[in-house]
Amino acid sequence: MAEVFARLSSRAFALGLGAVLLIAGCSLGGTSTTSGGQSSTDVTVWTAWGGQELAAYQKVLKPFQDSTGIKVHLITIRDQAQQLKTNVSAGTSLPDIANPPNIDDVSDWAKKGIMKPLESFMGDQMGPYLANTYPSLTNANSATPLYIYIVNGKHYAEMVKTQVKGLFWYNKKVFTGTAPKTFDEMLAIQPPSGAKLFCAGLESADASGWPASDQIDNIIMRQSGEKVYADWIQGKVKWTSPEIKLGFQTYLKEVSAANVFGGPNTVLSTNFGKAGKPLFANPPGCLFLEQATFITNFFTQDYPNLQAGTDYAFFPHPSVNPQYDGNVNGFYDSFTMYNDTPAARKLMQYMVTKDAQQIWVDQGGTLAANKLVTKYPDPVLQQASTVVGGAKNLLVTAGDFMPSDMQHAFWKGLLDATNNPSQLDSVLARLDQVQAAAYAK
Amino acid sequence: MDRIITAGIAVVAVPVVLLGYLILGERLLERLPQRLQSWFRPYFWALPAIAFAGIFMVYPTIRTAILSFYNRDSTEFVGWANYNYFFTFPDTLLSLRNSLFWLIFFTIFSVGLGLIIAIMVDRVGYESIAKIAIFLPVPISAVAASIIWKFMFDYQPPGSVQTGTMNAALGTVGQQPVAWLVNKTTNNAALIFVAIWSFTGFCMVIISASLKSISSEILEAARIDGASELRIVRLIVTPLLWPTITVVGTTMIITALKQFDIVYVLTGGAYDTNVIAVQMYQQLTRGGHFGRAAAVGVVLFVAIIPLLVINVRRFQQQEEMR
Repeated sequence: MAEVFARLSSRAFALGLGAVLLIAGCSLGGTSTTSGGQSSTDVTVWTAWGGQELAAYQKVLKPFQDSTGIKVHLITIRDQAQQLKTNVSAGTSLPDIANPPNIDDVSDWAKKGIMKPLESFMGDQMGPYLANTYPSLTNANSATPLYIYIVNGKHYAEMVKTQVKGLFWYNKKVFTGTAPKTFDEMLAIQPPSGAKLFCAGLESADASGWPASDQIDNIIMRQSGEKVYADWIQGKVKWTSPEIKLGFQTYLKEVSAANVFGGPNTVLSTNFGKAGKPLFANPPGCLFLEQATFITNFFTQDYPNLQAGTDYAFFPHPSVNPQYDGNVNGFYDSFTMYNDTPAARKLMQYMVTKDAQQIWVDQGGTLAANKLVTKYPDPVLQQASTVVGGAKNLLVTAGDFMPSDMQHAFWKGLLDATNNPSQLDSVLARLDQVQAAAYAK
Repeated sequence: MDRIITAGIAVVAVPVVLLGYLILGERLLERLPQRLQSWFRPYFWALPAIAFAGIFMVYPTIRTAILSFYNRDSTEFVGWANYNYFFTFPDTLLSLRNSLFWLIFFTIFSVGLGLIIAIMVDRVGYESIAKIAIFLPVPISAVAASIIWKFMFDYQPPGSVQTGTMNAALGTVGQQPVAWLVNKTTNNAALIFVAIWSFTGFCMVIISASLKSISSEILEAARIDGASELRIVRLIVTPLLWPTITVVGTTMIITALKQFDIVYVLTGGAYDTNVIAVQMYQQLTRGGHFGRAAAVGVVLFVAIIPLLVINVRRFQQQEEMR
């Protein structure tokens, strides 16, 4: 190989160098345009959305642009947290409106005034915003205010969309009973002969294991409460602590050889998108699949004729400990204002209105953050909105807010525990070891 | 837009400056006395190459070594802490063990099979067809090859239709399906097998080329002396091929140590299949830990240096023999 390389190297090098310079030149070209200033006619917005989500957002913006004459400059930047951080430390211009920063930077940026609190610019719209948005997204007294970007009682993220996780999906023709009230009731349900209680699929390339982390998040927050859950995210609760261990043990019941379709080998070899296939197979392979609302897209990929509400439905995560039934796992989309300009203010005030949010919802696939929006295009989302509405705390997915090496060790630990439940103690001990290193600066 | 212009200028400017350096420098050289000229000229011509190598290879290497003694974001000196982590943490030790597996089994099988196939096809009439068949996987990119094998290793629960070729084959002889990539007794072997499949053709072609250069007279002489074919292979062909085998072997060892794509695509390093190159990537991208990633890189680099030295030496010997 050395010989081949030697011959090729000079030409390849020249080509490579040219390509690198070109790419370096182009990649950042788009972002260094238009700064905020005090414009009342233009506003720059960064979004991480692309494809259908971006198209939906453009539809939301259209009436705003038409009626106010303000021009919204929309730029899609995937890794916003990194880009924002780079711009802040370099002192270069920030977009007027973008996603909130990485959770580690929130307190610091709030202190330095890099982000503008909603209280400072929403004016008389602040009251209605707090009154009309799901309380779990705006509650300053929440157990985990930082995770909804509230610092010292001030709101730094404007909630526009939301989603719930931890829903149990089933085939309405196979499971005809009533939804179980408690987790133990669910485990006691007798599946038809030949089928198992649950389906699961944890394979997801480099991110394998994440679906299991959603499952265990739902258990821990509803079993041991939001305080333990938040402390665990922050590395203040050990993995070997009784609460987290109990969470793992409860999760393992969902993927035990007795309860899961195909046993652990199938769970680990199956892609999360294909996990629901046995629900609709004939004869069915399982009764329930735990997943967020997006999974319905995968159902119809394999069975195009399925109809939401008539062929499949879900029930929310059953109660694990009645004390903590108000905790619901989900996520949200939000915006933060970085430059206080008249145009940016107007846009921020517009995006939370019922009319704007209704446009969003009509494009499908999402829940509004505004609870006045009650008309949903499909019964599944309609039902999901009641789950959010009933939530006391909408708690974020734990791994997403842990240090990245902790998150990946968590996923990997779940794979190992699923593969071999008898090794749970050593898996947890190893996670403690990662935790000790990951949270140390 | 201005950045594109800058980039364009850079692309044009670098060759122009180089050319200017050579033309102007050569004019200056011509004015020197003859003796000084011949002493100076090679250095003059080599300087741009040395500068490029220095900027793009030597400097990053030294910088990486320095970073490996610093903390997560390279702001604080931490001494040997990153190396200490690498050699004590169960995860990294496991990837070290797996890389050793790769080094041993991948090298032995790819070179061994390459040698055997090269010798065998040399003696048949359909040599080129056989060689093409074995060589076919070589031009496939490792990522594409891994995706092909992901389908091959696919697993469905016992009793279902097996969509993976390997498990379907097991099914036809009445065996239970195996979760090749999940099962800890099979997964490392499965990954190494994919690499062997990809690289055997490469080894075969190089060894075969060297085989052709062995004079047929030597073999004739041996045959007349009554040596069996096996004996000829063992005592004449193999020793004559030895320099080539060493070069191919060290190249394969380096490939094994650098192994990234197959593991990354097929398992992502889960289920105890991680190797050091993937570990390095994960330390950097997942952990965001520059110090640890750099330390892994340095360990990998140090492990490869002796092999590079052997490889280059052997290569020079071979050139001299020609």
